[in-house]
Amino acid sequence: MLFRRIVLCALLVGALAGLLVSAVQHWQAIPLIAAAEEFEGGAEPSAAVAHDHAQAPGEAHVHDDEAWAPRDGAERHLWTALANVLTAIGFGLLLIPAITVWEAVRGRPLASARSGLLWGAAGWACVFAVPALGLPAEIPGSAAAALAARQAWWLLAAACTAIALGLLAFGRGPLRALALAVVALPFALGAPHPDIGPFAAYGDEVARQLEALAARFAVATAIATAVQWLALGALSGWAVARWVRPVVAARGGAPARFARAQS
Amino acid sequence: MQQQATLQVTRPKSLLRAIATPVLTAALLGAVIVYGVGFSPIAAAHNAAHDARHVNVFPCH
Repeated sequence: MLFRRIVLCALLVGALAGLLVSAVQHWQAIPLIAAAEEFEGGAEPSAAVAHDHAQAPGEAHVHDDEAWAPRDGAERHLWTALANVLTAIGFGLLLIPAITVWEAVRGRPLASARSGLLWGAAGWACVFAVPALGLPAEIPGSAAAALAARQAWWLLAAACTAIALGLLAFGRGPLRALALAVVALPFALGAPHPDIGPFAAYGDEVARQLEALAARFAVATAIATAVQWLALGALSGWAVARWVRPVVAARGGAPARFARAQS
Repeated sequence: MQQQATLQVTRPKSLLRAIATPVLTAALLGAVIVYGVGFSPIAAAHNAAHDARHVNVFPCH
């Protein structure tokens, strides 16, 4: 019952936040991706090796024509919106349980749209702000280190930030100092970067344009993800207070004080 | 007796135990979905979610 309730709430919250961020992206980040793709493929052949060390030269690249891909235009936008909604549902399925546990541990009705904003901000720090400090937002066509290494580093940075924020918010004394050490760990190891600059394979003029695009893309993604996470957090807090709390109260035989506060 | 039983189950620890399984299962499902959309190496999954991956700043190709 509780599982079903959490999943239903995440579906609703994710659909709303995912559609909202799709609308925001549509006029700011997506046009920048399209602009960068105009240049993609205009690089010197030597850059292809640096592009992805995980693939042997000549092996099918992820952008090859054989694999299915949505057609540009409405079909592509539709898949992007669907992917955004699915991602938001996934994040909601992490956020809603976290808020539920927080409330249960404190034994007080704390979840609300307002406190949810704080949870959303924490989520944004975990999956955007801190990972992006080491691996800045990439526009298509930029060279980067091997994909597997970047994914592993991203996951490490996100997990360390979540642990550090948990220690800061709920720990006491020395545990808080430990939080700094935890969040510093991925940076001590260092984010994977190739030896060459992201646009070294292009001519000077094109590289300059791509750098300008990348700078605008970094700002656009920061705004789009912040909107997504604040919406996710507020909606999750509201959903926990409205729909999850009564089920938790019934399951745990919580005191009337706790159950009554839902209304 | 009734009073005692109520106090027993209202302690946060036992409430936590009562909700642990559904809460953890939901979070695990969330992690699997995020992985599938943002990190899956399958080419079709990458192509479908390409722009969403870039905007979410997931490492992409």
